[in-house]
Amino acid sequence: MNPGNYIFKVLMFICTIFLFNTEINGQATTYDSLKVKLPKHYFKTVIVVDAYNKADQKFADTNDFIAKRLKSYGLKQFSLSFYTPLVSYTDVDTVKNITKNTHILLTGNYVRLRPVFEGIKQHDLVKIGFGLRFIFNSGKKGVWFVDTSPFITRDVTYVSKGYFRMASTVVYSHNVSERFNWRIGATKSFMWGNKNYWPFIGLRFGRLDKTHLSIQFPRSINLNVPVGPKLTMSFYTKPQGGMYNFSNHDSLYYLSNAATFSYTRYELNSGFRADVRASDKFNFYVAAGISSRNNITFYSEKANKARPNLPYRTYFFKETLEPTIFINLGLVFKFGKTRTFYEDRNMYDVMDLNNTMDVGDNGGSAGNPQIPITPKSKKEINLQSVQDLIDYNDF
Amino acid sequence: MKSLFKIFILCCLFLCSGYSVAQGDKDKVEAIRVSFISEQLKLTTNESEKFWPVYNEYNDKIKAVRKNLRQSFKKAPDELTDKDAEDLYLLDLKSKQAEAELYKQYREKIKAIIGARKTVKLRAAEEEFKRKVMDAIKDKND
Repeated sequence: MNPGNYIFKVLMFICTIFLFNTEINGQATTYDSLKVKLPKHYFKTVIVVDAYNKADQKFADTNDFIAKRLKSYGLKQFSLSFYTPLVSYTDVDTVKNITKNTHILLTGNYVRLRPVFEGIKQHDLVKIGFGLRFIFNSGKKGVWFVDTSPFITRDVTYVSKGYFRMASTVVYSHNVSERFNWRIGATKSFMWGNKNYWPFIGLRFGRLDKTHLSIQFPRSINLNVPVGPKLTMSFYTKPQGGMYNFSNHDSLYYLSNAATFSYTRYELNSGFRADVRASDKFNFYVAAGISSRNNITFYSEKANKARPNLPYRTYFFKETLEPTIFINLGLVFKFGKTRTFYEDRNMYDVMDLNNTMDVGDNGGSAGNPQIPITPKSKKEINLQSVQDLIDYNDF
Repeated sequence: MKSLFKIFILCCLFLCSGYSVAQGDKDKVEAIRVSFISEQLKLTTNESEKFWPVYNEYNDKIKAVRKNLRQSFKKAPDELTDKDAEDLYLLDLKSKQAEAELYKQYREKIKAIIGARKTVKLRAAEEEFKRKVMDAIKDKND
């Protein structure tokens, strides 16, 4: 090959690469060169402070030795829970025009439960847990949700050993349309005082940002009515409960020398809840109603294991009390700038899944604080708030 | 312990309250705007699940560019040094160019999802909403 020709070809090749690179850089430069920061996550960091009280009730069973000793039963619960996004990854399929996203959240909860027994000294039962949530939005109809929440429960009134337990949930959610959704999965939450996996079956009728009925077995049945962008009313039935470690300091389990035993409780709460969106960073809610099927059990897994052919959950005390009233108050703090997802039905479902499975299953749900509700009134528009929409040439 | 908790709550409420008005208005207008566009476009379920993530991403980027520019223009022009003025002038040009590029890039994506007719409808709906907002502002000032 002629050396001059060869050099010419090499130079042409280098120039082509240079021009191509310039073109690529040229396409990317203007927006990227501004180094404008976009929020990384869709989820805000949310902290929920929740207080739950149930009225005291006398034990009606006068034949049971333990019931006679305990005299009455009431409940006071304080819980603090949070979730915060760790990873948010968005993937766009440019051929099919599908936007998929993956979210990993860190969750944590602290519960201080005070079962009020008139006949014995006060016990404070504590539960502390941290977990991870993985949510995958396929960008089409389906959303996957996986939650693992290991926790420790301990009776802090007396020196006692903590019990380690693991709550977990796997759910597939399918958005047939914006007005109908079904969910299927499995959940182990201890909220029914149990420690087995239960099937999870969910149905929703209606849009999440409008009036809708949501049946999420075994967690809740909700009728949500947004009254305006600041207020949502809901009527619901849901279990409230848990499984705790209780010190045998009072010798309630007099047949055993076990230092601790398991205390489980659940009640079925039916009532109304008002969620107030006070600001972009703060919500609060008030709920009240009737607490029925007030179930309480004591058993010692260790003592039961020592006796052959006995199920682990053979109770030495079990009572179901008459319905009573409950009250539940909560404060919800939201932090951080997030990406917008207006009218994005799958993202609404992602948010709803995360709030249906409230962190720690202690009854303190944040109440879908991030799903935007369109105001009915178009008055009171602040000029400052719309400057991003209007250019000076528009006037 | 209880008093500490109460103080903590009061501090949080105090910190949160000042932020609420401007941001709340902004979210309210944005929700009305999106709802208006949604009504006008009448997207199918299939179009809707593809369109909104793209359109929201576009809006996030445009808003970020405009906010960046607005924040840079906070200082009074007479107080700027010559170099600062030059930098600001270049930032203004770049921002407008970035907006135009984003507009082209995302309209093409949107057209691939909802077709040319609905993309034109989208533009018309955006303009219509802008006009409604300006009318509302005029009415308020009259």
